[in-house]
Amino acid sequence: MLKIENLCASVGEGDESKAIINGLTLEVPGGEVHAIMGPNGAGKSTLAYVLTGREGYEVTGGSVSLAGEDLLGMEPDTRAAKGVFLSFQYPVEIPGVPVMTFVRAAMNAQRKARGEEEISAPDFIKKAREIGATLKIEAEMLKRPVNVGFSGGEKKRLEIFQMMMIEPRFAILDETDSGLDIDALKTVSDGVNALRSPDRGMLVITHYQRLLDHIRPDKVHVFAKGRVVKTGGPELAEQLEREGYDGILGEPA
Amino acid sequence: MTLTDVRSRFRDPTAAELQLIAKYAELPEDARRARAFEAFAQSGLPHRRMEQWKWTDFRSGLKSIERPAARNISRLTPPDAAMVLRFDGQSWHIPGDLEEGLAVQEKSQAPALGDAEQLPMAALTASLTGHPQSASVLQIEVSKPLRRPVFLDFDVSGREMAFSRVAFVIRPEAGLDVIEQHTGGAGLSSAVIEFSIQKNARVTRTLLQSGGADETTAITGLVSLEENASYKQTALGFGAGVARIETRLAYLGAHGVATLNAAYLPAGGMHVDFTSHILHGAESCVTRQLTKGAVAEGGRGVFQGKFHVPRTIGQYTDADMQHQALLLDNGAEVFAKPELEIYADDVECAHGNTSGQLDETALFYMQQRGIPLPQARAMLTEAFIAEALADGHPDVVEALTCASRDFLRMEGQD
Repeated sequence: MLKIENLCASVGEGDESKAIINGLTLEVPGGEVHAIMGPNGAGKSTLAYVLTGREGYEVTGGSVSLAGEDLLGMEPDTRAAKGVFLSFQYPVEIPGVPVMTFVRAAMNAQRKARGEEEISAPDFIKKAREIGATLKIEAEMLKRPVNVGFSGGEKKRLEIFQMMMIEPRFAILDETDSGLDIDALKTVSDGVNALRSPDRGMLVITHYQRLLDHIRPDKVHVFAKGRVVKTGGPELAEQLEREGYDGILGEPA
Repeated sequence: MTLTDVRSRFRDPTAAELQLIAKYAELPEDARRARAFEAFAQSGLPHRRMEQWKWTDFRSGLKSIERPAARNISRLTPPDAAMVLRFDGQSWHIPGDLEEGLAVQEKSQAPALGDAEQLPMAALTASLTGHPQSASVLQIEVSKPLRRPVFLDFDVSGREMAFSRVAFVIRPEAGLDVIEQHTGGAGLSSAVIEFSIQKNARVTRTLLQSGGADETTAITGLVSLEENASYKQTALGFGAGVARIETRLAYLGAHGVATLNAAYLPAGGMHVDFTSHILHGAESCVTRQLTKGAVAEGGRGVFQGKFHVPRTIGQYTDADMQHQALLLDNGAEVFAKPELEIYADDVECAHGNTSGQLDETALFYMQQRGIPLPQARAMLTEAFIAEALADGHPDVVEALTCASRDFLRMEGQD
């Protein structure tokens, strides 16, 4: 599914340029959920932006492919149409564009790029209602402009709402647990778990183990200084929680 | 006054000014029109050395007055209920079935124009309208709250020049909704619309302006509000070679309320100027003004807004002025001058003025969801502009939003 090989990337231009990802190799097969854990500044969010093609994040080496297709040459919207979804750590406000309008535009743009038919208005509304109900999102919230005036928890719930509407082939969840209280964490995790399927992969980026109690990963990668320094099963996350990054890395991170 | 006399008032007249002098000289003598023309002669066509016109120069924009090239004009469909009053560049066409409470009179005499010295284009218009050769002046009295909107359709295509005046008097407790369509088509067109809104009366005015790159146009609104009167204006301007949409509003009685919203969308080669002057000449009046612009490469937008709050009589004024512009491309130009001139000491006045580009973070977020960049840009810009149009007359607000969307989508494809 997602294959990252010896990836190197930097942020900034010219003299300001700074290498953040340093030879990262990682593979997430279809059907699996992998977690990336690491201390602040390890390059976790940078990785999310590099995978989704954000401007200002320059790939200086290595490759990334999804189901055998090279992603790095594609525009962000093309990557999205190929199935890459990022749940943002800090979801962005889109003033004046209601959630429903936005999500429908996104779904239809992706379908168009793939040569598929647009989703009909009744089908769209039905799906939005059902998913909204499972995530405990009020219908009124879906009429409001995207993320404008939303609480931290509402924003994160809306990210998962979009993910469930779009049904991507590969989802990257960047610190989806931050800003969520315990109940919301449960709701969001249930949503993510509902999307687990043999033909979908996920990469969950997090600081803490608590999200991984709800979304059990198949593998945990410890990320430091722009590369994976240790890989293990879910028990690695628990060990991290007990011993801290210093303990695992054997040196101050 | 002979032609030579008139001509001598101008210093070094341009070809266009000579045409205007000749036009004026054709008309029979009339004291009011003569006063207006003298007021115009003081400056001639307004130009950049005049403070109020420094960014909008009719003199250099209008070398000589010529019939412009024919072009495709997209026009609003008047709402079914509307009473359509059409100006063809020469005279007015008035429908027979006017609602009770609305009286329309065509005048072959010029009404006086206040503040003529401050308003050269309005003065010019007043000097060339209201004479026996053309019924280009309408006097309209509204004595009841009208149910049906009045649609003023300025369709002046195919003419060298066109001048018109409409003066509304809205009697106490009466109400009027006006929709104005100025689609240009003349080398020089100028319209003066006056609203005298009496006690407890209300007016809404929704205005659409468009024009060609070889056209110049001025639309001047003169509004006065008596006690407890209200006025709401929503304007969408696409500009022309030179276009100025000016509103001068004065509160004459306490507790007046006015909202002035505008959006400007100049394409390459287009110039659009929204200028306003609000005189808080009575206590406890409330003004809300929001102007938004999105300017394409080679386009030019101008916003000049002024709140004037005199001492004592302007007490307890509550006024807010916001101007926000988006530069869609490099080579787009925006000039803005928001001004608060406040002499009263117990007032709440605020203003804000920003210009910039679309939020890159928002654009990336939208692209990440699969929306291609041109569409993302169009969606963000449409939403930005839509806020300024939302208060337009409900029968045409959708059409205005569509017009702005079409423009932005077309610009996005470049």
